[in-house]
Amino acid sequence: MNPGMPQKLSLPGVKQVVAVASGKGGVGKSTVAANLAMALHMSGKSVGLMDADIYGPSVPIMFGLGKVDQNTTPFPIEKFGIRLMSMGFLIGTEQAMIWRGPKVAQAVQSFLAQIDWGTLDYLIIDLPPGTGDAQLTLSQSAPLTGAVIVTTPGEVSLIDARKGVKMFREVRVPILGIVENMSYFTDAAGTKTPIFGVGGGMKLALESNAPFLGELPIDPRVAQCGDAGEPMVRKYPDAPIAKSYVALAAAVDAAATAANASGLPAVEL
Amino acid sequence: MAGELKPLSLKRVGDGLQVQWSDGVTTVTPWRTLRKNCPCASCTEERAKPPDPFRVLSPQEVAAGAPQPVAMQPVGHYAYKITWNDGHDTGIYPVERLRQLGEESK
Repeated sequence: MNPGMPQKLSLPGVKQVVAVASGKGGVGKSTVAANLAMALHMSGKSVGLMDADIYGPSVPIMFGLGKVDQNTTPFPIEKFGIRLMSMGFLIGTEQAMIWRGPKVAQAVQSFLAQIDWGTLDYLIIDLPPGTGDAQLTLSQSAPLTGAVIVTTPGEVSLIDARKGVKMFREVRVPILGIVENMSYFTDAAGTKTPIFGVGGGMKLALESNAPFLGELPIDPRVAQCGDAGEPMVRKYPDAPIAKSYVALAAAVDAAATAANASGLPAVEL
Repeated sequence: MAGELKPLSLKRVGDGLQVQWSDGVTTVTPWRTLRKNCPCASCTEERAKPPDPFRVLSPQEVAAGAPQPVAMQPVGHYAYKITWNDGHDTGIYPVERLRQLGEESK
């Protein structure tokens, strides 16, 4: 088998496969992916979360997990009702994955194909930043329903997010929508301060003709919850940001159901 | 994404590939044209070079004769991969390219 040519996989038990992506790093993809997965689960869906960031897996810490013994633990690991898979379950946090691209593509593929995801309404895939091997492998071999693009409001983030949008357009994966993370900070007096600028998410949505799925405010508790291993939406379901995530989950659910990501027809030879 | 051009059906007709498109157009592209325009990296590089008059065909190429597809599978939502009878299988043809080649072969 040619390593550059991933085999087309089918995940028969999984209804919707949604990738959470962005061109740029550090915009909060993993946080959004984890909380989105949690919010979807809390709305009664069965959800899996696959961490496709091989070099810097962050799903384990966000769910209070770490390296496990692969000989005794069956994958995916279930936590808070979500089925999880990440490179971080296979290697310790102190270890670095020093791998070339094709190995990354291979790992991503084995996460998809060799893990028994079972029956799921949603498989959320937390993508690494960029438009490289992991992204290409997924768009060529996974039956993606669509992609959610995460950006922060500033132009620096938009430049790369545009590339992400462009890539998904090129490979014809529908863009379910744009999410703006870290939109503003609300202080004790209720004043909203837009720390990273204003309106980037909306701008990108208009430019790329994709729906704008909403703004997510900055809340220090999001980071605390991430470090403490319990997603914010589960720990503080009444916080404003948790409500934003629930709204986001509903928007993603609606967009994914509407997206008729009908595959290409087979060829009669 | 609604107005995107899509192939509705693809089949082998005679010595080529017939595609019916979502805009009502039907294109027929000879396999020879498709093979010659293989978009894979090594074929693209080969085409960019001046033709080599002393190129020796590999035994597989000679045995294969006229290009015929052995398999043609969809890749993601955007392309088809063709495996040829000469063993070449690295070409991924995006649907836009298939349409373009089809229109050129009219």
